[in-house]
Amino acid sequence: MENIIQITKNDIVNEGKKLLDAGAKFVTAVCNDLDEKLEVTYFFSANRGVDLTCLRYTVGKDEEVPSLTGTTLSTLLIENEMKELFGLKVKDLAIDYGGHLMLAHDSPTTPMLKPKKAEAESKGEI
Amino acid sequence: MATRTTVPFGPQHPVLPEPVQLRITYEDEKVVEVVPVIGYGQRGIEKACELNEYNKNIYLCERVCGICSYQHSESVVLATEQLWPLDIPPRTKFLRTIWAEMARTHSHLLWLGLFADAFGYESMFLQFWRIREKVLDILEQTAGHRVIQSVNVVGGVRRDIDEAQKKTVIDTLNVVRRESDDLVNVLINDYTVKSRTVGVGVMTKAQAMALGCVGPTLRGSGVSEDARLTKYSAYGELNYEPIVETAGDCYARMKVRARELFQAIDLQMEALSKLPEGEIAIKVKGGPPANETVARTEAPRGELYYYAKGNGTRHLERMKIRTPTFANLPAVLILLPGCQLADVPVNIHSLDPCISCTER
Amino acid sequence: MALMLPTILRNFFGGPATRMYPVQVREPFENARGHVTFNDDKCFLCGLCATKCPSEAISIDKEKRLLTFYPARCIVCEVCALACPGDAIDMVFKWRAPFYHKPVEVHESRGKRPRTPM
Repeated sequence: MENIIQITKNDIVNEGKKLLDAGAKFVTAVCNDLDEKLEVTYFFSANRGVDLTCLRYTVGKDEEVPSLTGTTLSTLLIENEMKELFGLKVKDLAIDYGGHLMLAHDSPTTPMLKPKKAEAESKGEI
Repeated sequence: MATRTTVPFGPQHPVLPEPVQLRITYEDEKVVEVVPVIGYGQRGIEKACELNEYNKNIYLCERVCGICSYQHSESVVLATEQLWPLDIPPRTKFLRTIWAEMARTHSHLLWLGLFADAFGYESMFLQFWRIREKVLDILEQTAGHRVIQSVNVVGGVRRDIDEAQKKTVIDTLNVVRRESDDLVNVLINDYTVKSRTVGVGVMTKAQAMALGCVGPTLRGSGVSEDARLTKYSAYGELNYEPIVETAGDCYARMKVRARELFQAIDLQMEALSKLPEGEIAIKVKGGPPANETVARTEAPRGELYYYAKGNGTRHLERMKIRTPTFANLPAVLILLPGCQLADVPVNIHSLDPCISCTER
Repeated sequence: MALMLPTILRNFFGGPATRMYPVQVREPFENARGHVTFNDDKCFLCGLCATKCPSEAISIDKEKRLLTFYPARCIVCEVCALACPGDAIDMVFKWRAPFYHKPVEVHESRGKRPRTPM
């Protein structure tokens, strides 16, 4: 994958706005569980959808991150989804579904997180 | 000052085949506010993709969507192949393109019927679905199944199209083209249809870009954007240019899909005539290496987006699926406010929603 | 109405698009996939089908020489039929009664593993 730009979590709103103003379109965001941290990647497409640019930042699991919904409503669903499925703490969402976009009241919480490596190893030893 | 009423539209509603709830606030007959609520069909397919072996994911991801199932299997296969990356034989690429366009033909015929049904033209619905049956028959003849084709594997395809089948496909497509030509003519030119769709649910070019719409919804607003321009599979060798309408209303979105139906038939004919000889699959050993990639294909509803991350084993580290409706759903936030209650089904159907694949 | 006329005329003279189903049955296409059937005389329990099945519809007990098949889990993907080295799995396209209970088929395998490696 080319065009990955590493940024910090506070730059996402500015950098995203810059790309959108230059005529790019928001595609999606992907959250990855890196055991200790979460890696969030925002994808933008430009030039009739052919070129892809990624903005990537890594945060701790208990850190708050800003939302792009103030700039564009297209990130609304995916940021709510990351919040629910990964426990990514997105603040200032335009419409906050309160953890019930995908999941129901009795669903497991943050189901997409992987079992922590340290715990899995200790269980394997037993 | 009229009173405001909030009415839940769905998740079970006669015009909606899909489980989506729209909390619509009306002022008299006029919509003033809408909140889409999904979450009635979440199946956790992304999580299951991490637990499965990579070659079992194909059959799982095909079931994300019942209509664009072919494009889902194509995307997951392309994503997995790009992790190595593998060198796919040219005949395979052409075969994949032919089946993808065949799937688009049947999906657009289905949608044109459903759309006619949304404004009350039920006989048109049945006429379109009767034609669709012919396309499903040739899919079954060539790929082995009507809807869930299961024809893609990592490294190639499992079925070949021989000369006899080629002739059947071309004959059937000619019949499909002739019959749908008559029906599309009615949809495009009939004044009743026009009075229900022209000027309804207008979305400008800037709005469509800002909301991140994809596929015919975006192209109906005058943006010439299509994942097929990235030249995946055999699209680089075919004569392809996206179809664009500029009005941005329901009529324009319908016209895009109606024209794409004929374009899909043309692309199949062209691909069939250019079909090169050779292998249809290569042998693949081991799991995909630790790498990450993105596969983008154009499903009938818009751009389908697969992110895959391997870790060197036969299990993938992460698979992210962004379905077209997931990107198109925010469009209801600007399509619905201001429209009449009776136009809500027409507006929603003009996006071609597929909610169960939105939630995966 | 005038625009619809060609379709109306074709429908009027064209005959029905449907078939009188139980009386008139369409032959299945040559390529179409159908239900999985096992040939117990050829199966030598190599276990490839059970490993490759995406929906875990086949399980194998090598000690008791039994192959258990759960038809309600089968997704008719043809992976097992293509994987089978002994040609013991066929896909038969014919009508099958709907299930009232999820059935379990138990097959006793009598095939012999061939001497030469496959």
